[in-house]
This record gives sequence, C-alpha cells and structure tokens, in this order.
Amino acid sequence: MTELLTAVLSATFLVAVIRATTPLLLATLGGLVSDLSGALNVALEGMMLIAALTAVIVSVHAPWWIAVLAGMGMGALLGALMGLFHLRLRADIILVGFAVNILAAGGTPFALSLATGGDKGTSINLVSGKIPAVHIPWVDGVPVLGLLSGHSLLSWVAAFAVFGLWYILYRTPRGLWLRAVGEAPAAPQAAGVRVDAVRMWSLVASGALAGLGGAQLAMFNYVGFTRDMTAGRGFIALGAVLLGARHPVGALLAALLFGVFEALSIVMPGLFGWIPGELIQTIPFVVTVLALILFSARTRRRESAA
Amino acid sequence: MTAASSRTATLLRETGRALAALAVALVVAFLIVLATSDEPAKAFSTFLMAPMSSNRTRGLWIDDVAKLTLTGLAFSLVFQARQFALGVQGQAYVGGLLASLVALSPLGVTPLAIPLGMLAAMAAGAAYGFVPGWAKARFGASEIVSSLMLNYIAIRVVNWIVRAHLAPPGTGQLNSPDFPPQAVFPAIVPGTRFDLGIAVALVATGLAWFALYRTAWGLRLRLVGHNPGFADYAGIPARRIMVSAMTASGAIGGLLGAVFVQGRAFGRIAIDFEGNLAFEGILIAIVARSRPLAVPVVALAYGYLRQGAQLMGLRSDVPTEMLGVVQALIILLVASSVRLPGRRWLGRLGRRRSPAVGAPAE
Repeated sequence: MTELLTAVLSATFLVAVIRATTPLLLATLGGLVSDLSGALNVALEGMMLIAALTAVIVSVHAPWWIAVLAGMGMGALLGALMGLFHLRLRADIILVGFAVNILAAGGTPFALSLATGGDKGTSINLVSGKIPAVHIPWVDGVPVLGLLSGHSLLSWVAAFAVFGLWYILYRTPRGLWLRAVGEAPAAPQAAGVRVDAVRMWSLVASGALAGLGGAQLAMFNYVGFTRDMTAGRGFIALGAVLLGARHPVGALLAALLFGVFEALSIVMPGLFGWIPGELIQTIPFVVTVLALILFSARTRRRESAA
Repeated sequence: MTAASSRTATLLRETGRALAALAVALVVAFLIVLATSDEPAKAFSTFLMAPMSSNRTRGLWIDDVAKLTLTGLAFSLVFQARQFALGVQGQAYVGGLLASLVALSPLGVTPLAIPLGMLAAMAAGAAYGFVPGWAKARFGASEIVSSLMLNYIAIRVVNWIVRAHLAPPGTGQLNSPDFPPQAVFPAIVPGTRFDLGIAVALVATGLAWFALYRTAWGLRLRLVGHNPGFADYAGIPARRIMVSAMTASGAIGGLLGAVFVQGRAFGRIAIDFEGNLAFEGILIAIVARSRPLAVPVVALAYGYLRQGAQLMGLRSDVPTEMLGVVQALIILLVASSVRLPGRRWLGRLGRRRSPAVGAPAE
C-alpha cells in the first residue's frame, strides 16, 4: 500500500495522469459539443482511431504539426459524413455513429496494411513522428511550478479548449444557439437559426476534437499506431460527457477522474505483480460504469426533488 | 388497402431494399479489390466463389450463419424496443465461459452436457443483459455506455479466467483443454463445421418471432419501441418491458457464447474466442429491419460475404478487413433514406407507419 501511495504522490504519476487524460479530454469535449446540439456522437471511438492512423501515416512524410492537423481534419471530415447521413438522409445518429466505428475497426487495419505492404497489427515499420513536449525553461527545477513543464503541446491545447469551449458556449450568441438547438429546436428555428446547420457544424467540431485526441494518442502517448489502440477511450469519453453534467469544466473533471484510473492501471502492474493484468485493465471500465450509475442516480434524485 | 396487400407491399419493398444493399456491397467490394489488388480477378473470384468450393468451406459458412443469426436476433430484440443496448459481445463471453465450466465439470461427460451448458450460458447472458437495463430503468444510466463498458469488462475477465485457470497449468496455452465429446455439438455433415449450431439458431429464430408477434409481451414491447406515447396512455409498464427486452436479448447473447465454445469450430474455450463477430449483429438486425424471420436470411447472405472475405484474405493479397468498409457502407445506406425511384410515393402511402428501425408491418 505504501508503495502505491509513494507512486501516486510522485511527480511522474502526475505526468502520467495528464498524459492519460489528454486524449480522453479532447474526445470528451468533442462528445460534449455534439451532445449539447442534440446529436449523441457514439462515433468518438472510431473517429479517434481513424485520426490516429491518419496522423501516423502523414507524420512519416510531413512535419508533426501537419500530421496533427491531418488527424484533426480527418475527424472533422467524419463528423461531416455523419452530419450528411443524419441530417440530410435522416438516418438514426446512433446507427450512423456505429457505422463509423465499424468502418474504423475494419478500415484501419486495411489501410495500414496498404500503407505498410502487409502489416495489419502495428505501424512498427513506419518511422512516424512525435508531438513535442513543451519545456518551460524558467520553471524547470522549481518545486510545484516545475510540474508545468514537459507535457504534450496538445495537453495545453486541451486545457485551453476547455476554457475556449466554455466561452463559446456560454458567452457568445453562437454558443447560445448551439445549446438552444439541443434543448428545444423549435425555439431557435422560430428565431431564424438554421437548426441543421448548427448541428452539422457541431458534428464537424466534435470530430475535429476527437481527431486531435486520436493524434495525441498515436503521436505522444504511444508513438505509432496499433490495431484498436483507442481501446474503448471513445466510449469512456461518452460516459465522461454525461458524468461531467454536460459542461466543459465538468468534462475536464470527469476526464481527469478517468485519467487518474488509467494512469493507476499503468503503474499498478509494476507494484502488484500478483494481480492479473487483465483485471487491472478493467479498472477504467468498472470506474466508468459505477460513476455513470452513481451520477445518473444523483441527477434523477435531484430532478424528482425539484 | 387491405392488410394482406399492404404486407406484401412491405415485404417487396424491404426485399428490394435488402437486395439493393447487397448489390451496393458487391460493387463496393469489387471497387476496393480493383483498387488494391495486383490480381483483382483472382481475388474477386475467390471472394465470390470460395465459400461454395468444398464441403469444408460450406461448413465454415453455415457455422458463421448460425452465429450471425443469434447475434442478429439479440440486437433485433433490443432494437424493436428502441433500446441501444450493445452488450451482445459481453454476453457471449460470459455465456461461453459458463458453458465451458459445465463442459469441463463432471457433468460434461453426461448426455446433459449440451443442454445444461446452453441453459447456464443463457442464464449468464440474461443476467449480463439485465444489468444495463436495470441501471437505465432504476437510475437513468445510458444503456449505450454501460453495455459497452460491460463488454470490455467481460472480455478481460473471461480471458483472465481462461488463461490463468482453465488452460492446462505450465503450458502457456491460451485455451482450455478440449471438451469431452459429449459436450461438443454433433456434426450434421460429418467432418465439417456444419453442426447442431444452425439448428439452435433456427429454433431461437422461431421462438423470438413467436415472442415478438404472438404474445402480449411482444405486442407491448413493440408498442413501447414504436410509439412510446401511446404505450404510456395504454398503461404499459415501459420500464419493465425495456428491462425484460434487454434481459431476453442477453439470454440470446449468452446462447451465442455457448454455440461458440460447444460448436465443432472450437470444442473448447480460448481467449478472445468471439473474434468481434457479435457486433456484426448490428448490420444483420438493421438490414432485417429487426424482424426475427428475416434475420436468418440476411445472415445467410452476409455470412457468405464474410466467409468469402476470410478466404480472400488467406488466398489473395486483399486483406479480410476490407469487409469492414463494406459493412459500414451497408449500414449507412440501409439506415438512411437513400431512396430508389418511386420510394417517396410509397412512403407517402405509408406515412402513418414510423420509418424507424424495425417499424412493424402490421
């Protein structure tokens, strides 16, 4: 137990938490945007996976930032595809989302094997790029402040995105429209807002954020692509949207909670060799189910009390 | 319009839709093969012909059809109630585990091994399907998220039990010893995988049809799914129906697990035995419009494509995974209202019928 405490209280654990949280947070923010506009995006998982592969393949031929943008663009494109099928062709958004997930599950090994000439499992034979860590020279070595140094650039982007999204959603007319479209589409429609256009753009933004998350996963958390490397993170993010009370700051807290448990599941095998690895890997999923149930119960109690 | 002619019209329209989906799938598959293969003619003919080439491959195909039918039925049941419970995969794992425990126990050498294993698997699957339903009815927890999380948990826990407790110790194997012959399905065609599984799947189809279309429970379930407002006025306990639909679907998911481990393909339990087949039930259910009687037909056609893609992956330079692309496209096209000419007019006639997943014919 003491070993666990020392490990958890160390600076490296904090770095691990931030690293585990970043892709989750980006995907959660993506899920939040589309959820607020009234379209539940179950495709976060597939979007992250496809964006991760896109980023890895582009990073072989281009600088890291172009690869990140490519991942983000691919996510946005998938969001637009979902919008097309859901809004224009009136397909159920959940089925469309699952089609994207299935496309990702089969399409990524397929595309990887085309790009590498036969490898379906990993991109180990591709020399892929890495997102640089931000070192802040004047805080290095300073206690507490020093913890700010050494994180992925996208961790900073994600943190800023929480603030930016809060600002857009709660301090600009466009954010008001977006929330109104999700709450009561008839009202903004009567006010002359093009409901479908708002939903379309929120799906595109949702995909772009999930795509950034995928790029972070394949170019910082791990360098390179592995089959099914998202491992349910997109679905955990979906839970985090609900757990975060559909608010950007809530999303940050929920993503951090899951990030802590993911980091724990990374450090625990070294400390507790006797616990089977498979059981340690279930921790993030068990925490998600329990948190979802507890939080839903609380919301329902509060609603029935009001 | 009389009921009979409307039913025929619906049948024709849905058959046309399914055939159009199949045609699109074939065209897309052909284009993918053409774009990626060095020898497209050989690859595509393998895709189309190989499943019929021998008794062995026909057995592989029918084995897939049995499993696809079961997962398609499980998804159809929850889709009819308009619940997006996606837990068939997890149910198959817990079901497979329970069926294996029966087969490896002293009961495994008695004639009761197969029925008891199936019952145990169905009970485990039903319990696993009940949890997200209960969490939704009781707490309002999203069944999509909870059922998916339960899948990940089931896979890891079952894999651990197989690796650490069922595999022969010290061998490093990732599967249990072979089941005794009494616990493995008898082959219908000797020497192939054409076994009892397909019979199990067809019986399950009949039962699911009967439950949905010939019982009060089924009527209530479809009402809750297609017209919740009316169901509410009629005093139907929507939450209880929802939970029971997810539990019944879970039992079928568990049965899928039993068919996996008891079938001639395995005859034992291995880690990751399900190989992501369960999720293909989404496609089957959507193309079959969640109607149980259409599920085996769709499974027969899709199973053929699936087996063709597997054999193409083995015998040519086109990876099996290209089927995922085809699968996603079929779902997108069938779920959306990409209309054939004349569809709009027909749609106006049937305006009162909900265009949602699995809209009832009657």
